[in-house]
Amino acid sequence: MINVDTITKSFAEKKVIEKLSLEVKKEEILSLLGPNGCGKTTVLNILSGLIRQDEGNIYINDVLVSGSAGTKKVHLKSSERKIGYVFQTTSLFPHMRIEDNVAYGLKSFHFSEQEVKKRTDALIEFVGLHEYAKFYPHQLSGGQKQRIALARSLATEPQVLLLDEPVSAVDPQLRESFRLELKNYLQALEITVIYVTHNLSEAFIMSDRIAVMGNGHIEQIGDRTEIFDKPTSSYVAQFLGINTLKGKAIKSDAGLLEIDVNGIALLASQAPNLVGKNVVATIKPEEIMLSKSADFNFNGTLGNSVEGVITEMVQMRSNAQVTVDAGFLVKTRTSLSSIKNLSINLGDKVYVHFNANALNVFLDNGNE
Amino acid sequence: MSNKIVLIILGLIVLDYFLFIALPILAIFLRIEPNQVNAQLHNSAIIDAIQLSLFTSGVATLIAFVLTVPTAYFMTTRNFPGKSILDTLIELPIVLPPAVAGIVLLYAFAPKGLLGPILNRLGLIIPGSTIAVIIAESFVASPFLLRSAKIGFENMDRDVINSAKMLSGSRIRVFFTITFPLSIRAIISGIMMTWARAMGEFGATLMFAGNLPGITQTMPLAIYVLLYSNPLGGVMLAIILIIISFSVLIIVKLLEQKRFGTKK
Repeated sequence: MINVDTITKSFAEKKVIEKLSLEVKKEEILSLLGPNGCGKTTVLNILSGLIRQDEGNIYINDVLVSGSAGTKKVHLKSSERKIGYVFQTTSLFPHMRIEDNVAYGLKSFHFSEQEVKKRTDALIEFVGLHEYAKFYPHQLSGGQKQRIALARSLATEPQVLLLDEPVSAVDPQLRESFRLELKNYLQALEITVIYVTHNLSEAFIMSDRIAVMGNGHIEQIGDRTEIFDKPTSSYVAQFLGINTLKGKAIKSDAGLLEIDVNGIALLASQAPNLVGKNVVATIKPEEIMLSKSADFNFNGTLGNSVEGVITEMVQMRSNAQVTVDAGFLVKTRTSLSSIKNLSINLGDKVYVHFNANALNVFLDNGNE
Repeated sequence: MSNKIVLIILGLIVLDYFLFIALPILAIFLRIEPNQVNAQLHNSAIIDAIQLSLFTSGVATLIAFVLTVPTAYFMTTRNFPGKSILDTLIELPIVLPPAVAGIVLLYAFAPKGLLGPILNRLGLIIPGSTIAVIIAESFVASPFLLRSAKIGFENMDRDVINSAKMLSGSRIRVFFTITFPLSIRAIISGIMMTWARAMGEFGATLMFAGNLPGITQTMPLAIYVLLYSNPLGGVMLAIILIIISFSVLIIVKLLEQKRFGTKK
């Protein structure tokens, strides 16, 4: 459906996008996830034709919309790419009524007056704001404005919808409900969507697949489980808040890899055979259990138990983030009741336990 | 020094400055009585000056609008080598002494000036004509509109413009339906400033167009002449110009306060 082929873009000599490639399937909702300033919006702007890449090609439905084919250079106008774009700020035309905002694109394409009216009404109805058709944007809340922005972008029946952090324009206390509304709209649309966000849980809620972006290119792409359970780089793991341990693979036996992390031996099952190599092991905070004794029941599976000292405890709403120095620093997510039952405090000696199959191991590419 | 003393000193400075500006204006209003206004309104020199000023400043403002709004749009949406130099050059008349503006116009448009040969062939003698007044006023006043329009275009929400670009392939349509309406307040504000500046133009007009009653003698020039022959007439013209300037400033301030998208 969308094929971004090795694009590069620099602003004032600074490379913002570097050899970025991305494929998005038809009717898929793909989140482009990454920290602020990593180039996510630039990717959308290039896809939409608002800015032009320095190198590389962009295809939509196998049609080259920007780039070069042999000696021929192509750069379709934004309005010719069949792309809808919802911007980060509520970008409604402030001097036009809601219905005129939604009708703007239709009028550009010279639809008949009746057709414009019919489609405009249907779209405003679709986003549930029929009674606001005659209002001006400043009379709407942030969420309502973004719903209208969505309706406006859909008016010309695009094949692709780009959403750039659409939730950030909504009041914080209403973001949760807006997210769910938006998800329902997107699922009902059956349209290819690229959803830009820096918010991990938003990406998980909204999308079928997630592309984690960093340093101007896609670091990893996959579904929720692949991304969260099997990060393939330290960058992705750290961005997702997953513990990252650097070590060396010592030996492999019957699919069980032993790695040395700061002199402590850890076992990883289902790991590739990387004996002799420098590796990175990742472990999700949720996978780590704490106890005061070295014994732990792994229910017949292989596990790792390491002694350590609590160096930090940060209480959150329903759980606490407990950091343990076990020869390597690991963060855990522990329920408040467990902390109470274990009666653990800062500076206490504890044991961290995690399953061997929870440890994800990949080759250390040395970039981090 | 205590806060109270600082506040008193500050208050005195503000009062001082207020009086410095307001007293001369008040002085001229106290100089004329209502019954004298009527007599002056029958003075043909005064009526001619008012008519000429309204005509020339109106045409000059129109010329400024036609030339500066597209220029401002071009300058804010395009990057090219030497842009900042060109940008500075076209705003130069704002700070140029009026006498200098007058002399540069003479060297450009006078029969022996740069464009003299072309104008001579067309049978046009610019200096000493009403056209010269319009040229002088446009030259001096148009950069006010240019600046204002540029600020209007620059301050526009990029996402709003980009949304329009996504939905419409026509740049002209985007300009006339989105960019222009959203900058209209800045543009009107610029028009008012340009018109007020054109109405008040003195130095460049005097040097380039001369001081011919009914042809080039605008209100400021008439004030200068009448000061010796008919001081009350001069005072009346001055009062008209003060009222115009005051009204323009109020309109500009109101336009600056109110923006689209606010609930004011």
